[in-house]
Amino acid sequence: MARVQLEHVTKRYEDVVAVDDMNLEIKDGEFVCLVGPSGCGKSTTMETIAGLTRPSEGTVRIGETDVTNLAPKDRGVAMVFQNIALFPHMDVFDNISFGLRLRTFEDEEIERRVETAAEIVQLEGMLDRMPDEMSGGQRQRVAIARAIVRNPDVFLMDEPLANLDAKLRVHMRTELQRLHKQLDTTIIYVTHDQAEAMTMSDRIAVINAGQLQQIDPPLVCYNQPANLFVAGFIGSPSMNFAEGTVVADGLETENFDLEFDPATVSDVGVGDDVTLGVRPEDVHLVRGADDLAHSTGAIEVTTDVLEPMGDEIFVYLLLDEGAEQSMEEDPMTSSDQLLMSVSPDTDLREGEAVEVVFDGSKIHLFDTSSGEALVHGIADRSGSEPGTTPTEAED
Amino acid sequence: MSPNDHEPTDDGADRDGSGRYRPDGGPRSRLADGGTALGRAEDAEIERGPFSRWVDRSIQNPQRVYRAMFYVAAIFFLFTTLFPFYWLLMVALTPEGQLQDIVFTPNGFNPGAFVEVFQTLPFHWYMFNSFVIATASTVLVLVVASLAGYAFGRLEFPGKTPMMLLVLLVSFFPPAAFFIPLNDLFNTPVSVLEPVMSDGTLYNTPGAMVMPISAIFMPLAIFILTTFYAQIPDGLEDAARVEGTTRLGALFRVIIPLSAPGVATAGVLTFIAVYNEFFFSFLMTDGQPENWAPILEGILGYQGQYEILFNLMAASSIIGVLPVAILVIVAQEKIVSGLTAGALKE
Repeated sequence: MARVQLEHVTKRYEDVVAVDDMNLEIKDGEFVCLVGPSGCGKSTTMETIAGLTRPSEGTVRIGETDVTNLAPKDRGVAMVFQNIALFPHMDVFDNISFGLRLRTFEDEEIERRVETAAEIVQLEGMLDRMPDEMSGGQRQRVAIARAIVRNPDVFLMDEPLANLDAKLRVHMRTELQRLHKQLDTTIIYVTHDQAEAMTMSDRIAVINAGQLQQIDPPLVCYNQPANLFVAGFIGSPSMNFAEGTVVADGLETENFDLEFDPATVSDVGVGDDVTLGVRPEDVHLVRGADDLAHSTGAIEVTTDVLEPMGDEIFVYLLLDEGAEQSMEEDPMTSSDQLLMSVSPDTDLREGEAVEVVFDGSKIHLFDTSSGEALVHGIADRSGSEPGTTPTEAED
Repeated sequence: MSPNDHEPTDDGADRDGSGRYRPDGGPRSRLADGGTALGRAEDAEIERGPFSRWVDRSIQNPQRVYRAMFYVAAIFFLFTTLFPFYWLLMVALTPEGQLQDIVFTPNGFNPGAFVEVFQTLPFHWYMFNSFVIATASTVLVLVVASLAGYAFGRLEFPGKTPMMLLVLLVSFFPPAAFFIPLNDLFNTPVSVLEPVMSDGTLYNTPGAMVMPISAIFMPLAIFILTTFYAQIPDGLEDAARVEGTTRLGALFRVIIPLSAPGVATAGVLTFIAVYNEFFFSFLMTDGQPENWAPILEGILGYQGQYEILFNLMAASSIIGVLPVAILVIVAQEKIVSGLTAGALKE
């Protein structure tokens, strides 16, 4: 009974458009993360759902009701805030029961509900403490208990874990997932941390510059990003990109060429400007790539910096020998560099000349001008042989 | 050490001819004759009186002077504020007709004046009137100023700053400027008031004092509350609104409780100011207790046509001060934190 629907929601401030024609449908019981960089409008979107901000245009529906002009208190939503926002002058019991007391519940009912909520978030025995006597994690639990005690139709969580330390954040993440299973309520969760979004949600709504980029299950966003922004935002470290032009026998970029038959790939024609995207884990050393079903032609590179993470090693690869000297703008978007992740037992040194191949089935092509994804995985469609011979530098 | 450091030392040492030239520019306080850090060597040879010894110690240890200055200032301030009360008490205790020759002790002893006060005039009635007027004004000021403070402190709207300045402008006006039009207005019968007031005017009613006095003290309260309400984090108000309050509900349930020091400060300052107010209190009633005349009229009531009962006036003044003194003592902590602090952590 608590579907959330945004129809053409736009929020304009004097000088900026915070939310731009947002259309979003969140199913009953779904856990959806709104994710995007800071200032992308995800919090404003949530505020319009909560009723704290009135949209300039558009309709917000919760369940079957048009709530666009309803006060926050009449929407059946509960919210957990980034800064926790417990009332500092009330103890834990009063904080949790605040909403119930406003709705004139019986005292026994309030007590019963508060106790149940406290049990769910494991706060038994702390009901008479004041917020400033509690740790960050405990306060966050109180805030969650305050939200669940009213049995809302929709939970809104605005970066609730942002102020917690890394370890506690991972712990609370699983707690929230457990809570979602237990309560089976619609949860809308705002975060700028794509890892949080990936691990917790049923679907991720990626937002940039006030516009919805893609709303799909986490792995779909990861494997079939709708556009360059989603491809670059989801996944850590970020995807490698290289701009190039489609030629008769493949793709030419500034530093390397990729061989495939453009005719077999729909939406791609000779002469198109496309951007190639490949994730670090889909870049392989030639010597270990024998088991790849669809590897592309080998590319000669020089290893630059190695970042051993324990379970894998991130290797920065220089495509162009001369690029080492130029400390140019943004290394992640630079097409002179590739990031590769290899297994930790790989024998590699800095400054070593190696050959790498891409996993052809995991390559993404995007339209350079519009950023829209054209195709995900090219080798399987081009029908090229696995382990294609290294491409010679073409003239 | 750089060579530059030696140059002033060369000049100085030769000029004062003490022969205590220190090539290393070392600390002069280590001079064998006990000279001071700043004094020259030959100063120490002068025979010193107690005052110059005190000066010498003060220069060495300026904290002593600051402390002494603090005590002098504090004692002076306490003397100028408390001595009138002391003298008031002496006057009150002196029997009538012996008011000459009071210096530091009463000329006789007559504590009965504190009872006579109530027998001569219904002074408790005047006190009650003052108390009602001050309380009503304070409540009115706090309610209206809270709403205004919420708007000025927490909302964004065009013309906010000019409006705030306009509000503050009201407090710059001398009350006398308002008096004649208001007195005229309050003496004009208004048909709406006729069922309530016998003659349909506000003269001789608490309204005649509460309304103008509240308006005059409102800007200060608005200013104080605006500052306080602006500091409450937005998240708390949002949380309250999502939990089920209206904006107004959030103001009364969350923002005002968290701004308690500010509300207490505004409230107490208003109460004291209204309680002590002279101009409107004196002129908006005919001075009869049953017509809501405040304490002021009561005190002046001991001034008869042929005699002035100074001892009763003094006693009634002391009695009149007591409620405010008690209020300040009770609310002291909040007022101090309200006047000085302000930062409120979430």
